Amino acid sequence: MKFAKKECVAMLLAGGQGSRLGALTAKIAKPSVPFGGKYRIIDFALSNCTNSGIDTIGVLTQYQPLILNSYIGDGKSWDLDRMHGGIQILPPYQRVGDSEWYLGTANSIYQNIDFIDQYRPEYVLILSGDHIYKMDYSLMIDYHKKMDADCTISVIDVPLKEASRFGILSSDESGRITDFEEKPKRPKSTQASMGIYVFKWNKLKKYLEIDDKNPDSSNDFGKDLIPLMLRSGEKLYAYKFEGYWKDVGTIESLWQANMDLLGENGFELSDENWIIYSRHAEKPPHYTGRDAIIKNSIVSEGAVILGTVENSVIFSGVTIEENALVKDSVIMADVVISKGCVINYSIIDEMVKIGPGLKIGKPKEEGSEITVIPRESVINNMGGLV
Amino acid sequence: MNALGIIFSDMQDWSMTELAAHRSVAAIPFGGRYRLIDFPLSNMVNSGINKIYLITSSKYRSLMEHVGSGKDWDLSRKKGGILLIPPYSSSENHGLYHGRLDALKRVLDYITSSKEKYVILSDTDMIYEINYQDVISYHDEKNSDITAVYTKTNINKSTSVHKILYEFDQEGRAVDILVYPITNGTYNVGLNTWVMNKDFLESLLYDAIARNYKDFSYNVLSARVHSLRIYGYEYTGFFAHIDSLQSYYETSMKLLNKDVLQSIFYSKTGPIYTKTKDSAPTKYCSGALVKNSLIANGCIIEGTVENSILFRDVRIGKNAVVKNSIIMQHGRIGDNAKLDSVITDTYTFVNKDRVLLGYSSCPFFIKKNSVV
Repeated sequence: MKFAKKECVAMLLAGGQGSRLGALTAKIAKPSVPFGGKYRIIDFALSNCTNSGIDTIGVLTQYQPLILNSYIGDGKSWDLDRMHGGIQILPPYQRVGDSEWYLGTANSIYQNIDFIDQYRPEYVLILSGDHIYKMDYSLMIDYHKKMDADCTISVIDVPLKEASRFGILSSDESGRITDFEEKPKRPKSTQASMGIYVFKWNKLKKYLEIDDKNPDSSNDFGKDLIPLMLRSGEKLYAYKFEGYWKDVGTIESLWQANMDLLGENGFELSDENWIIYSRHAEKPPHYTGRDAIIKNSIVSEGAVILGTVENSVIFSGVTIEENALVKDSVIMADVVISKGCVINYSIIDEMVKIGPGLKIGKPKEEGSEITVIPRESVINNMGGLV
Repeated sequence: MNALGIIFSDMQDWSMTELAAHRSVAAIPFGGRYRLIDFPLSNMVNSGINKIYLITSSKYRSLMEHVGSGKDWDLSRKKGGILLIPPYSSSENHGLYHGRLDALKRVLDYITSSKEKYVILSDTDMIYEINYQDVISYHDEKNSDITAVYTKTNINKSTSVHKILYEFDQEGRAVDILVYPITNGTYNVGLNTWVMNKDFLESLLYDAIARNYKDFSYNVLSARVHSLRIYGYEYTGFFAHIDSLQSYYETSMKLLNKDVLQSIFYSKTGPIYTKTKDSAPTKYCSGALVKNSLIANGCIIEGTVENSILFRDVRIGKNAVVKNSIIMQHGRIGDNAKLDSVITDTYTFVNKDRVLLGYSSCPFFIKKNSVV
């Protein structure tokens, strides 16, 4: 069967362990970490694709893929159950000759050259599954075409003191990239790569093959492939993105991104022109009890709030019993917080049960660290607290 | 399960003049994020029925939009699935369906061609939660022609006129059936849900055609109560009949009771499914004060909400006070507005500083797309 030609195929890198998220990614891949009351992180990249008119997506998985696989299903939650294209999960597979795990971001694409070739695309869009943002990729692809670029890298301005966490690039007036350094100690600019690339497929394929033959390469886009293309004199352009964008690779940034949803000027998810789609259990509206107090928070369906909630994100199916206080926290789906508990500055993962009267976390004002309670923990006394 | 479901979407819309003015009864929004059709549909799906005919006579646009391909109820199937059947004018039949029996006669070819052993007929104006498998087992056990689901409840003259009442002998066989009577007291009230063998329904319809019967309740049930084996299956869970604005309001307010909420939405049979809207979680701003309320996703609350139900995508402005009210989807309540015992239909816009007052026994209804 010959596949319908697609102008652009998106490849979503979802195989990373996300070890800096600690207990939150012990059992699940980073893109499937819950976010924002009813979402998982991957919803943002997938919804951006759908809203940008991209309907052919390969999702590269490797680390703990079970929850991610069943979450994605046939993609219908994102309108990606398509006759031609749609969403496909791509774990590493065995083939004649050498078979390996995905060794790096570039290698994972290299191992899926055949998948991309099926659609004979002009362009390939490389995405990460661990960023929170709303972005119209079609505008970036338009820019890529206009510049006749071989590779376009989406960039965002970051504060200088944070620049050394990112791939930092410099570009000339036309936007052509002159220099690229992955996590530089002394950043030359504040233009950070967002890990979103558009390539001409024939060029990307060529450099993936060159990179694969280099035994010293770590087969990574930022460390190896982009510098290689730059050295070879290919046309790389920077596409400036303005708007909210958050890499949620750490506990702190994940907590902060959740908090960014609160308040009148927060990152707005109720945007009918850019809906973030997700897959979720069928739950009735949330119930707010007679003595409940909820301030500056978001609450999702199926929650039952009988206590007090301040500056927090409450996922679907959460129960917060009478006289419990939840402050500056992220409470993920189906958590039960019993009577009289006090939860401060914590991230409580899915399906945790916290017995009556317990105190979890220290008030944020005291400058302590965020407390994380792993999935499905049952805590009945302070001794049980990990 | 080896059963065909037939749901009548608008058998009672004459009694729901406000809420069903522009939509069939089945499409009336209910419970913050549902429409009435979701309850019988979910009951059927949760009972393992995956072939459903949805009979709808008129005003079915919002119903069609809601149901779509049926995929939100897992009913977008190669085998079975959901089929909406509006009236189909032919040389013998013209115009809208004239009641349940006329509709059944006119879809007879679809009934004949289906291969299921049983047929379950249901309306959409009753809220209850049942596993039809249990009803079918009882139906087989009694070897009945028709098994009618009923519940024992108190009724009065104003509500009895929309109900079918059954009297059973000790075996559970119907000995008398009253259709839309005017009476007070405790009765076996029909849930307008019947189970039959498909072959039996076919023969019933052939007979009805030959004798030119016009009405299912009078000509088939009531008049033939002695010649047919009609048995009652008692349902004992939460039940509400939405047959007026008043009962709509009362039933909605009952959802604020934890036990009722639990029994409807977290039953063993399964959840109530509805059309996915992908609304973001609801945002409580710093001025929000919400008590004893049911709040769907997609709302932004800056004021006070008490004893109320907010549907999806509702905005409550600063210092607005909404009490004992139902605000349907896309409602906008302006700053400082005060609402008590009000039902606003979808896309209602209440300007700032407005004061709207109903009473619990007579809620103030504001129709769709109104600007107050």
